[in-house]
Amino acid sequence: MDLSEAYLTLWSDLDGVFSMALVSLVGLIVVVVDAFRNDHPSLPWMGAAALLASIGWELSVLGDAPGTALFGAVRTGGFAAFVNLIILVSGLLTIVLSVPYLDQLKRAYGEVYALILFATAGMIMLGTANTLISVFVGLETMSICLYIMTGLVREDEGSIESALKYFLLGAFSTGFFLYGIALLYGATGTMVLPEMAAGLEASGSTLLFWGGVALLLIGFMFKVSAVPFHMWTPDVYQGAPTTLTGYMSTASKASAFASLILVLFYALPTERWSLVLAFIAVVTMVLGNVLALSQPNVKRMLAYSSVAHAGYVLVGLTAASPAGYAGALYYLLVYAVMNIGAFGVMAFLEWDGKEGREQTLDSLAGIGFRRPALGASMGFFMFSLTGLPPLAGFTGKWFVFAPAVNAGLTWLVFIAVLMSAVSAYYYLRVVYVFWMLSPEDVPEAAEAQNAAFPVPASSIAVIVACAVTLLVLFVLSGNVMGFAEGLFEEAASMASMP
Amino acid sequence: MEALLAIVSGILFACSFYLMMRRNLLRFVIGLIILGNAANLLIFTMGRLTRDHPPVIPYGAELPIEPYANPLPQALILTAIVISFGLLVFALVLVFRNYLTTNTLDADTLDAAEPDEPLDVHTETRRLPA
Amino acid sequence: MLWAVLSIFVLAAVAPFIARVTKQATGWVLGLLPLAVFAYFAQQIGPVADGTPIRQVHAWVPSLDLTLSFYLDGLSLLFALLVTGIGTLIVVYAGGYMHGHDQYGRFFSQLLLFMGAMLGLVVADNIIAFFIFFELTSFASYLLIGFYHTDEDNRQAARKALVVTGGGGLALLAGLLLLQQVTGTMEFSEMLALGDTVRAHPYYTGIFVLVILGAFTKSAQFPFHFWLPAAMAGPTPVSAYLHSATMVKAGVFLLARLSPVLGGTDLWLYTLVSFGAFTMVLSAWLGLRYTDLKQILAYTTVMVLGLLTMLLGVGTSAAVKAAMVFILVHALYKGALFMMAGSVDHETGTRDVLELGGLRSEMPYTMAGGLLAALSMAGLPPLFGFIGKEVTYEAALGAGPIGIVVLVASVLANAALLAGALVVGIKPFFGGEGSFTRHPHEAPVSMWLGPGILATLGLAFGLVPSLVDQTILQAATGAVLQSPYEFYLALWHGINAPLIASLVTFAIGFALYVQWARVQPSGFMQALDGFFGRRPAAAFERGLFEMARLSQWTTRRVQDGTFRHYLLTVLSTFVVLVGSSLLLQTNIQWPTEVLGVRYYEAALAGIIVLAALVAVRTHERFIAILALSIGGYAIALLYLLFGAPDLAMTQFTIETLSIIILVIVLLNLPGISGQVSLASRVRDAVVATGVGAIITTIALTVLSTPLDRYVSDYLASRSYTEARGHNIVNVILVDFRALDTMGEIGVLAMAALGVYVLMRMMRQNRDTPEASIESDDKVLTEAEETA
Repeated sequence: MDLSEAYLTLWSDLDGVFSMALVSLVGLIVVVVDAFRNDHPSLPWMGAAALLASIGWELSVLGDAPGTALFGAVRTGGFAAFVNLIILVSGLLTIVLSVPYLDQLKRAYGEVYALILFATAGMIMLGTANTLISVFVGLETMSICLYIMTGLVREDEGSIESALKYFLLGAFSTGFFLYGIALLYGATGTMVLPEMAAGLEASGSTLLFWGGVALLLIGFMFKVSAVPFHMWTPDVYQGAPTTLTGYMSTASKASAFASLILVLFYALPTERWSLVLAFIAVVTMVLGNVLALSQPNVKRMLAYSSVAHAGYVLVGLTAASPAGYAGALYYLLVYAVMNIGAFGVMAFLEWDGKEGREQTLDSLAGIGFRRPALGASMGFFMFSLTGLPPLAGFTGKWFVFAPAVNAGLTWLVFIAVLMSAVSAYYYLRVVYVFWMLSPEDVPEAAEAQNAAFPVPASSIAVIVACAVTLLVLFVLSGNVMGFAEGLFEEAASMASMP
Repeated sequence: MEALLAIVSGILFACSFYLMMRRNLLRFVIGLIILGNAANLLIFTMGRLTRDHPPVIPYGAELPIEPYANPLPQALILTAIVISFGLLVFALVLVFRNYLTTNTLDADTLDAAEPDEPLDVHTETRRLPA
Repeated sequence: MLWAVLSIFVLAAVAPFIARVTKQATGWVLGLLPLAVFAYFAQQIGPVADGTPIRQVHAWVPSLDLTLSFYLDGLSLLFALLVTGIGTLIVVYAGGYMHGHDQYGRFFSQLLLFMGAMLGLVVADNIIAFFIFFELTSFASYLLIGFYHTDEDNRQAARKALVVTGGGGLALLAGLLLLQQVTGTMEFSEMLALGDTVRAHPYYTGIFVLVILGAFTKSAQFPFHFWLPAAMAGPTPVSAYLHSATMVKAGVFLLARLSPVLGGTDLWLYTLVSFGAFTMVLSAWLGLRYTDLKQILAYTTVMVLGLLTMLLGVGTSAAVKAAMVFILVHALYKGALFMMAGSVDHETGTRDVLELGGLRSEMPYTMAGGLLAALSMAGLPPLFGFIGKEVTYEAALGAGPIGIVVLVASVLANAALLAGALVVGIKPFFGGEGSFTRHPHEAPVSMWLGPGILATLGLAFGLVPSLVDQTILQAATGAVLQSPYEFYLALWHGINAPLIASLVTFAIGFALYVQWARVQPSGFMQALDGFFGRRPAAAFERGLFEMARLSQWTTRRVQDGTFRHYLLTVLSTFVVLVGSSLLLQTNIQWPTEVLGVRYYEAALAGIIVLAALVAVRTHERFIAILALSIGGYAIALLYLLFGAPDLAMTQFTIETLSIIILVIVLLNLPGISGQVSLASRVRDAVVATGVGAIITTIALTVLSTPLDRYVSDYLASRSYTEARGHNIVNVILVDFRALDTMGEIGVLAMAALGVYVLMRMMRQNRDTPEASIESDDKVLTEAEETA
């Protein structure tokens, strides 16, 4: 290929990778500006503008037919746009919520926003990857940014400790992942996902192939924090700056799952992995929920619950049908909204009750009456996380469980529903403590301080908007789900065409 | 020779993982370095060995002279060496930072508090109400 | 119907704002909407009684068969009328009862939320919509029971209700989903015709158990009966509405709704009859143990729920008829009595029967309503309650072999019910002056109107049963039986077996009432209460506690926070997963060697291994570093030997750099003290060796398959012709895979950025020694140079 030809291809592919290009470009600009005007207050808003523009762009290409860009490295079209929207919206919400939070922490570094932008670009690459190499590059870009963000903020040992754990365990998962890629390449002779099944047939090296799949899965399971690769989750979620935790728990999970869906959908059309995934889903749901039960610290509780939610999404993937994948996508969207909201609330309550990462749920007794908007929104998020109607968390669970039932995995859904019941216990407990207890009931709350930090109206508006979005997504669940399912049916029909 | 190197890299892997599970974080870092070496050696071996013939095209020629060493794994390993160095530095800085806040290199102090408060049926807030 | 349900939810949302405007008239204003909805449903009596159920469908998620569909047959209509009719009166009553409470608006909001959910539940056709409303009633009930949330007992009661009914709801969901699998439809209306398919299906037992769990928890059947009396902690309008007239009947409604699908088997008959009968007798007698008006009423509510369950279990036409009649009877008198109890409490400050007395002159209207309702509850003629009892006995007598059990149980329970009714209806108003904390007045009109209307209806339906029997009750019975069924109700049937049973009931009942003061504190009652009243509740609390303990124990076991253990777990999982899949393969073979091993190569390999082992064994850090560097350089030599001079150079450079940095850092850091036990060292060694062995095995497998050098050769052959480069490795890096190399630089830059941010934070930390910062800044620049 001629060089000029390559540039032409790059140029013509630009609309396929517009968001990724724009976000990383602005990330670079933020770094450069930051170098000259250190920690200038306009930096976050540059990032927010880039994300907003990208969101607009992705909305406009939502209806596009599936295709690839950058020499087949990433996928474009409806699926990519949907995944990118989840990631971009999470990024945008995170930036808006982080500004007052990091200001209050006295850690309003410009680099943070650059890191968020780079992480977003990495996630977009991961979530839309069409070759194993792009999966890896996206995964690494994202992970490194997240490692840094984890250790970023606080002076206390917890923060740096969690960064260390995250980084070291993350490095391992990367190692497994690379090894898996190498084996898969050896077994199929290709890195391009849709060509792998045919490559395997040609070479017949099943041992290498399934060994590679196992290693690849380990890498993915680490990123989505499925048991037993979840151990970093509570420590990291607790140690990281709270708004950034929200980002980590949603966007990175969404993009890793999107990538996993692409791998499963395009590269592993056989049914053999289904039982393995079902098994992982079961242990993930059970352990996540059981551990969350006795957590006095809300952030840790949310961390374990995010483990459990990874299990629910896996239930949808286990169904291995377009409806199951679409349900998983819908679930990830809903999960992003509710979890960012929940972490947002906890971020702004960090200066109430017991301070910082030591904050326990009990020390926030009766906070709902002092901060009604945050308290009421938290109620929405908790109900939605439990999976109660009329919030999108309910339809989300429905959309991942129903395909599994249709795929004959009723036993799996039984466990999932039972575990959802268990989760009601600790989610509703938050609501209970926020609204039903009063500070006088709890010794911890009585000795805690009320150094109320004046939460800016814009942040409250964002959080309330998240809560309302859950209602909207519930009402519109049919449309969203129909769209998502269409993506896979279209792709499946295209794949079956000669 | 390939089989021998495969075994050598297996031993290196075992050593590095053992080191990483030690309490002293510096031994962990040493394990990390060995891990990088082991992985690179493994990739190198997987690409098959060729003695003495680097993948270089002699001046005046357009094609390399057979046999020549497999260039692809070499390119990969070059990348891997540099990246693993970057990660090593990052890890060291993290360990160092951690030392500054905790004043120890003991990995067992890296145990962010899980609740150790025993439950109690009679105190409402301890009892986990709904 | 969609609008009927939705409008109540909307009103619930805006109720607090309305309450701010309308102040003490709030109850009257808010009651208008339920009244209108009641009127709407009342208009449907005619068409529905003619045997044509109404069905309305609104699409929601077509791809998953989720619809918002409503189905109004006689059964739904009976319940819809109760929900909205009694609901209207309760809203009005609450306007008076809750007046002056600072959360007045919030209360109405929650009450209406419940009303909407309950109405949705009874008219829903889609099982998912049904489940949503089902859980919503549990949730609304949680809020309402815990309304006085400052008291711990109230919170506990609310939690109990939520966990029991919400958990049962989940079992129900599982049952309904299975039902959907078997019938292939999500609509109740379509399932009704498929009863034979379901009963013959192997899933039947599973479905039955799950659905029954949902119904029994909601309708407080033994052993889940304990939450209902505790739920009396809520404000009295709530008790009157949720825990007697409506919500608790959701379980009964469910049984009635699904009896055409699941009913008629031996399993159904014996389960429902035994649990229903036991609950009925038990709770009727437990009610006599208490002196709190609301507690007595609560237990008699459980008794009626048991009766209804039992009748639906019998399932004959007469039994279903009796159940439908009793639902109406009970709703009328129990609603009235709870409101009466609330009024008495409101005016006197106590609900304890032993403290009450002589209110007949102060509260005449309240007394009239309460007494009338109590007589209906007692089942005395000419009230509607008498008819209810008669048809029950009639059903028992026609129930076949099981009938004698049903009859004896009913007589025993009804006798206790009669005594309880008289205690509630007579004690507060007659006899000597009670001991009150305040001087009682007649309650405001909003508070005696509701009980008055309901009690009067109880009298009217008793005197003129034709007001209801041919229309709504007949339609409801027909809907449950799935075939038209005609009947007439009358007070007097001549002297027959039911009448004799009634007379026996009266005799035992009056005797119990007369002896109540002695029965109530007796040792037998105490034992009964201790064993069946308190123990299940205590067991429930214990269960929750043990669940939390289990969670804590698991957390400590699997998540001890120690990084090394995390690593160990990950590696062990790797060994188990990949190792087991390797063991399953049999075609692993030793690779065919092309190259032999030369002695100096073997020596080099030996040095590498030795160096690594030394690094593992030694505790002297400088020896470890020395070994490390020897090993690294040996690897570089290996690269050199096998045609990779570039690699060798890079390895030399990086190895040297790493060692330098390591030494610099080491100078600043102390060692650690303390030893790890031998056992855990052996464990770690075993796992690590396992990982190494697996990696070697896979490597050998790869080596035994021929290598395809196509890509390499392709790149090599194009290296000079396309990119004018002699060094193929370099060309690959900067030309063919330039994008990847850029990515690599990006990763490195990111690492550098991370190092920078961390250093920057350290600089802010005043305690940091200057020297160490500089050494690490050097690291940073070096990292960038290498990139």
